[in-house]
Amino acid sequence: MSEKPEHFIIDGKRLDGRRRDELRPIKIELSPLDRADGSCYLEWGRNKVVAAVYGPRELHPRHRQNMTGAVVQCRYNMASFSVDERIRPGPSRRSVEISKVIRQAFEHVVFTKFFPKTAIDIYIEVLRADAGTRTAGINAASLALADAGIPMRGLVSACAVGKVDGEIVLDLMKEEDNFGDADVPVAMTSDNRITLLQMDGRMTTEEFYKALELAKTGCTTVYELQRQALVEKYDNEYQAEGGLDE
Amino acid sequence: MSSGDNTVMAEVQRDHLFNLVLKGERADGRAFDEFREITIETDAIDTADGSAMVTLGDTKLLVGIKVQPGEPFSDTPDKGVIIVNIELIPLASPDYEAGPPREGAIEIARVVDRGIRESKSIDLTKLCITEGEKVWIIFVDIHVLNNGGNIVDAASMGAIAALLNTTIPAARHDLGEDTPLPVRDIPLAVTTIEFGGEMMLDPSLDEEKIASTSLIVATNTDGSISGMQKLGAEPLMIDQVMRVIGMAQTAASDIRKKFLEV
Amino acid sequence: MERKIVVPGDVVSDNIKMSGSGTYIRGDEVCASVYGLVNAGARYVSVIPLSGKYIPHANDRVIGIIIETTHSNWIVDINSPYDGLLHVSQYPRRIELEDMKKYLKVGDCVLVLVKDVDAAMKVELTMRDKELRRLTDGRITTIGPTKMPRVIGRSGSMIRLLKSIIGCGMFVGQNGRVWISGSEDRIDLAIQAIRYIEANAHTPGLTDRVQAFLKAKEKTMQSRIHESRDNEEW
Repeated sequence: MSEKPEHFIIDGKRLDGRRRDELRPIKIELSPLDRADGSCYLEWGRNKVVAAVYGPRELHPRHRQNMTGAVVQCRYNMASFSVDERIRPGPSRRSVEISKVIRQAFEHVVFTKFFPKTAIDIYIEVLRADAGTRTAGINAASLALADAGIPMRGLVSACAVGKVDGEIVLDLMKEEDNFGDADVPVAMTSDNRITLLQMDGRMTTEEFYKALELAKTGCTTVYELQRQALVEKYDNEYQAEGGLDE
Repeated sequence: MSSGDNTVMAEVQRDHLFNLVLKGERADGRAFDEFREITIETDAIDTADGSAMVTLGDTKLLVGIKVQPGEPFSDTPDKGVIIVNIELIPLASPDYEAGPPREGAIEIARVVDRGIRESKSIDLTKLCITEGEKVWIIFVDIHVLNNGGNIVDAASMGAIAALLNTTIPAARHDLGEDTPLPVRDIPLAVTTIEFGGEMMLDPSLDEEKIASTSLIVATNTDGSISGMQKLGAEPLMIDQVMRVIGMAQTAASDIRKKFLEV
Repeated sequence: MERKIVVPGDVVSDNIKMSGSGTYIRGDEVCASVYGLVNAGARYVSVIPLSGKYIPHANDRVIGIIIETTHSNWIVDINSPYDGLLHVSQYPRRIELEDMKKYLKVGDCVLVLVKDVDAAMKVELTMRDKELRRLTDGRITTIGPTKMPRVIGRSGSMIRLLKSIIGCGMFVGQNGRVWISGSEDRIDLAIQAIRYIEANAHTPGLTDRVQAFLKAKEKTMQSRIHESRDNEEW
């Protein structure tokens, strides 16, 4: 593990050269997994995550079925080799908590009422972790849900904001996450309804408000990338197949 | 059969596959001894000490290696330890469930593990740091991302490709300089299924389901055998087993030449 | 006409009276609820999803696979989150409970009608109607349920086209399973045509394109077809 840097922001630039309000690069690939009903691979900075959605499908055991709608389930998991120290396979307290808050980030947006007695399963695998795996996972899962044809109020977009060197910054990288003063992961819909909010650290009320406003602009940028990925997927398939014709 | 897909296959589909076999054909047009397309990309994950992403037809898996100092087993105080773990995570197939690994997953992991261990391809005595106290422990974690059939062969290719790509991170643990993991051989497990009296390599998902029995054979560069497992309840005859060994040796040698030798 | 691609949450109309399938009302606007293509009609705006599961409705004709036999029901996989129940009394002829396995066993394919779906999504099936039967030959392929209407075509026009040009038997279940019968090469060609329709499901002028596609395929298969014509009856 690296040492705490003396300064996080030098001449307005962060350790990786970003501005305070700049996201790390995001790369999206839709439907990489053919067994799943919907899937998405996403790279965000040095994070690599893959999300798959199965469902709606029959829910077992039967006593967990809901007669008035689908049950959304989520499993967030980190590959044992995704971080410096090997993680023992299987759920941890951390992964159980993150699975729960991610599930709840989607419960509001998924129209569960159309599918009584079923489960909609969201699986997120972190293959390589930097900071922000839960937000990366949410962005991938949101696209996997759309890819699976699940009806939703809208896409969910997520990013973290935090505080380093007394300043509010967007999308913490690993050093900022480990040694900074605060970390606030946020997920919201495109009409700015917050569906996930956590905080770790210390901030004043003014700082927190500023952080949420910054998270909003971050989520809007992420949303644009998500939307573009879906539109492009359709366009690419359309063009590729149009080409077969002549 | 080997990776536990539970859905019922329509009888007409089964008949179709059977009729194809009688004509010497497979549903995807392959010959009986032909593998699907293989890609192996090493250095896929930089937090791992070695890694490989493998695709075999529709099957996709990621192998990550972690090398950490730890205590040796008391009966082998001068030898390092290799631990192979396979995660059939529910992301990879509608038939995998969350929770502790089931017998199928454990069997696959142990078969891949034995194939590597028994080949002696990793010289475990070179992994001793202080006899009786500290040795290198090699964790081979196989993360299945999409089960398109024949997980075992893909896992075996991925495991050895990742091991060939592994660095012992000595510097990180103040134990001298980083060195490449010494790998002496390239063992490969090859699965053959028996169906309709014919033997075929690299079963797809549908073929796994209809196979009456299958035989996994791990072989090394010199053709020696370092692991074998028969799956399924149907018996095999000695001449069938010997034929399968020959097929596995040829296929492994082919894969070794094309993908794994530098 | 080119249809616009939308993602969940996109506004598709500002007239809430126009809200059709695949949409919902948010405030005073109509939004897409699924990733798909906008279908703007005179009275409704709907969004045709690009993917999704088959949800059964009464009177749907579907292709099922028997997955279990219980005391008096066959449980049928209908390519849906919900399994269908085929009660012994819904078999075309009267049979004794202990004889159920003689008539339909696990793995058998059946052409069935959805009789009723209740609020708890209990799906009752029947085989007591014309054409409904066990399928003993041919092959089954699947297509995304959302693309299935294109394989059927306007009041069955696409199926008729495929059947007559290819010369095969075909039944398209509303659950996305397609049953094709005939000689092996006819079935192979039919499956290729279905894959083509699936890939081009959302493009205009599909009928003409399918005809051209089949013509091109037939040319390359010509010699083989002549051989099979002598041997097969279809």
